[in-house]
Amino acid sequence: MAIGVHLSSAVLQLLLTRIYLTSKVIPLLAALAVMLCTAMVLIVWSVMGGFLGMLLANGRSFAGDVTISWPNAGFSHYQELIRRLEADPACAAATPMIETFGVVSLPDDRIEVVTIRGIDGPGYARVVDFDRSLWWRPKDAFDRKDEKNEDPRVLTPGAYEAALEAGRRMTVIDPATGRERAAAVLGIELSGMSARLPSGVYVHQSVGRTRTDGSLEWVGGRIIDRDVVLRVVPLDDAGRSFELRSFSVPVANESRTGIFDIDKRTVLVRLDELQRVMKMDAWKRLESPIDPYALGEAGGSGGAGVAATGAERGARVTTILMKAAAGFTADQLRDRAEAIYAGFAQDFRGQVPDVRSLTGNRLIRTWAMSNATLIGAVERETVLVVGILCFISFTASFLILAIFWAMVSEKTRDIGVLRSLGATRLDIALIWLLYGAAIGLLGSGLGVALAYVVVLNINPIHDVLVSLGAGVWDPRVYYFTEIPSRVETSKAVLVGSMGVGFSLLGALVPALRAALLHPVRALRFE
Amino acid sequence: MTTASPTHAAGPAPEPDAARAAIVCTGIRKTYHLGRVPVPVLHGINLSVGRGEVLAILGSSGSGKSTLLHLLGGLDRPDGPSAGGGRENARGSIDVLGTRITEAGTAELDRFRARTVGFVFQFYHLLPELSVLQNVLVAGMVRHGAGIGRAGVPERARGLLEAFGLGHRLRHRPVELSGGERQRVAIARALINDPPILLADEPTGNLDRKTGETILDALMEHRASTGRTMVIVTHDRLVAQRADRVVEIVDGRLATPGTV
Repeated sequence: MAIGVHLSSAVLQLLLTRIYLTSKVIPLLAALAVMLCTAMVLIVWSVMGGFLGMLLANGRSFAGDVTISWPNAGFSHYQELIRRLEADPACAAATPMIETFGVVSLPDDRIEVVTIRGIDGPGYARVVDFDRSLWWRPKDAFDRKDEKNEDPRVLTPGAYEAALEAGRRMTVIDPATGRERAAAVLGIELSGMSARLPSGVYVHQSVGRTRTDGSLEWVGGRIIDRDVVLRVVPLDDAGRSFELRSFSVPVANESRTGIFDIDKRTVLVRLDELQRVMKMDAWKRLESPIDPYALGEAGGSGGAGVAATGAERGARVTTILMKAAAGFTADQLRDRAEAIYAGFAQDFRGQVPDVRSLTGNRLIRTWAMSNATLIGAVERETVLVVGILCFISFTASFLILAIFWAMVSEKTRDIGVLRSLGATRLDIALIWLLYGAAIGLLGSGLGVALAYVVVLNINPIHDVLVSLGAGVWDPRVYYFTEIPSRVETSKAVLVGSMGVGFSLLGALVPALRAALLHPVRALRFE
Repeated sequence: MTTASPTHAAGPAPEPDAARAAIVCTGIRKTYHLGRVPVPVLHGINLSVGRGEVLAILGSSGSGKSTLLHLLGGLDRPDGPSAGGGRENARGSIDVLGTRITEAGTAELDRFRARTVGFVFQFYHLLPELSVLQNVLVAGMVRHGAGIGRAGVPERARGLLEAFGLGHRLRHRPVELSGGERQRVAIARALINDPPILLADEPTGNLDRKTGETILDALMEHRASTGRTMVIVTHDRLVAQRADRVVEIVDGRLATPGTV
C-alpha cells in the first residue's frame, strides 16, 4: 500500500510539474537563466581546462616526460647515461640534446632571439612527437576545415617528399656540391614565410627585404632549402664563454607543435653540428715538441710530431630527454632517473655534475616541474575563473527563488485545495522541488547542449570575430594557435548537475513555504 | 425532512445515540488572532451527526459555521486547554466514525482528509490549469490507502462526471465552464474517493437559485443512492430545508434554529 501511496503522489507531482511547466512563461525564463549560466561555466571551463590540458600534453610531447639538464656547460659521458637509462623498464627512450640561446638571421634580414636545440633527429623522434611536428610533408586529402582546398601539401605533394626526409634526418644534399649538409628545422611561425590561414593550413608567402640602398626586395618561394645564419656563444665545461660563433645552415623543414612560443622561437639543428660549433664535441689536449702550446680538436689536424698528453674530454650535451615507458608516470620515471644518475655521478666523479646537484629538483625534472610556475598559474586562474562563474551562476538560484516565491503566492489557494484533499506537506514540497528540478534539468540540458555547440565550433566562431575585428584569442599570449575545442563529459555532467542543484536550492525555500502553509488560511487566501 | 431537534448549544454531550453517530463533537472552541488580539469564533460547540444523516448548519456570515466545518473535516484544530483553565477550558474533542481527530497527528489528519471526508467549497476551488477530468483525478492521486485502486481512478472519475452531465466536458478547463458545471466538478472531485462523509461549505452560495437547486438535487441523489453522511453549511434557509436536520449557529454558539 505504501508503494501505491507514493506512486499516486509521484503521479500527482509529475502532472502538476508538467502542467505548470507548460502553462507558465516565467519559469521558462528561469530555465533560460539556468541554461545561460550552465553554458557559460562549461564553455569557460572547457576552454581554460582544455588550454591547461593542451599545455601539459603538447609540452610533454615536445619536451619529453623527464629531463636531466646541466645548462650552459653540459656534461659528458651522456651516451653511457642514456645506455643506463634505457636499460631501466621505466624509460622507453632517451636522447641527448643541447639547448642554448642564440640569434637567427632570417631571409627578410630580421634577427630574432631563439632557443637553439641540437638534436639527434631519429633519436629525438623516439622521445618526442618530432616526426608528427614536421609540417611540410605530402598529404593525401584536404582537411575538413580547409574548405577552399588551399593546402599546398595536398596540391603539390611531390614537392615535400624530400623536405620530410630531410627534416627527419636534419640533413640536406647541397645541390652545388652534391654533399650532405647538416640542416635546421625552424618553428613554423619563425620565418614569416609560412602564413597560417584561418582554416589552420599554412601557405608559403613572400617576405620583403630592404636592400642597403633602401629599396625593397621580395624574397619569394618557401623557406625550405634557404639558408639561415645562426649565432651562438660557446661555453667551455667550466661555463666560460669563447668568442661568438656564427654558422649558416639550410632549412630542411618547419615544425609545428601547436605551442606558439615554441613554434615562434625554436630552431632545431643537428646535434653533432651544434656540438662542433659550440665546442662541445670531444677533445684531447695535444703537445708538440715544436710548439708546446698547440691546442687541437680530437681528430683534427694535429700534424706530425704532435702527441696526446693524456688530457681528454668526451663530447658534451646540456640535456637528456626521456620518455616514460607505458605504465609508468613521469614522476616514477624521474625517481628512477635520480637513482640511475646517482650511480652514474659516482662512477664519473669529477667529470659530471655531482650527485648533490640532485637536491632541489634542479637537475632532474619532469616537464610539469620545469613549468610549474606557468602550470600553477593557469591552474589557479582556471579555478578562480570557474569559481567566480559558479558564484555568478548561483544567482540563478535567487532568480528561481523569486519566481517560485511569487508562484507559491499565486497558487496559495490551490495548495489549500490540495491539502483539503489530503495532500501531505511533503507532497506539496515535492511538487515545487520537482518543479525546480524540472527547470534545472531543462535549463542545464539546454545549457550543456549550447556549450557543446559553442566549444566544438569555437575556432570558426573566433575566426568570424577576428574578421569583425573582435578577436580575443592571441596565440602570442595563449601559446596555442587554436582555441581548445573539446568538452569533457565529466565536466558536462558536473556543470549540468550544478545547474540542477542550484535550481533545487532556489526552489527549496518556496517549497518549504508552500508545505508549511496552513490549509485554512491557504483556502481563504485572497 | 425532520425539523431540527433543537440543539445542543453549549451543554451536555449531544444526541444520545452516540454509537450511531458519524460525527460527535464536544466543547469545541476556536479562537483566531488578529495580531495579538484574540478573536473567539466558536464557544464550546457540542454537536452530533448521525450516520447517513444530512445536517444543515445554518448561520449568517461570520457566525463561525465555516470554521466549524473546517474543524469537522480536519483542516484546522480547535483550541487546546489554556493554562489554569478548568472544565470550561478543557480541550474539546471531535470524533469522526470512531476516530478522535482532535488527538490525531498531522500525517493522520492528512490521511483522514483523503480517506474519510470530501469537501465542496462555495467557490469551487478547482485548479485552473487542469482539465475537468484532471481536477477530479487529482483527488484520487493523493488518496492514501485502501479503497479504489489507482488503476480504477480514471474510470471512476469519468463515471462520476458523466453522471453529473459533464461527460462532454472532460478536457475543458474550469474557466470554460459555467458556475453550476464547476460546482458539479467540485462535487465529483469530493466523491472520487467515495468518502463516507461529505462536507459542503455554501455549495450553492455562488450560484443562482435554479442552478443551486440542481446542485442540491445532485447532492441529495448521491445521499439517496449511497446513504452517506453529509454536512452542509449555508446561510440560505431554503437550502437548509433540504437537510434532514438543521442547527443554527449564532455568534459561535449553536442556537435553536428558527422556523425552517
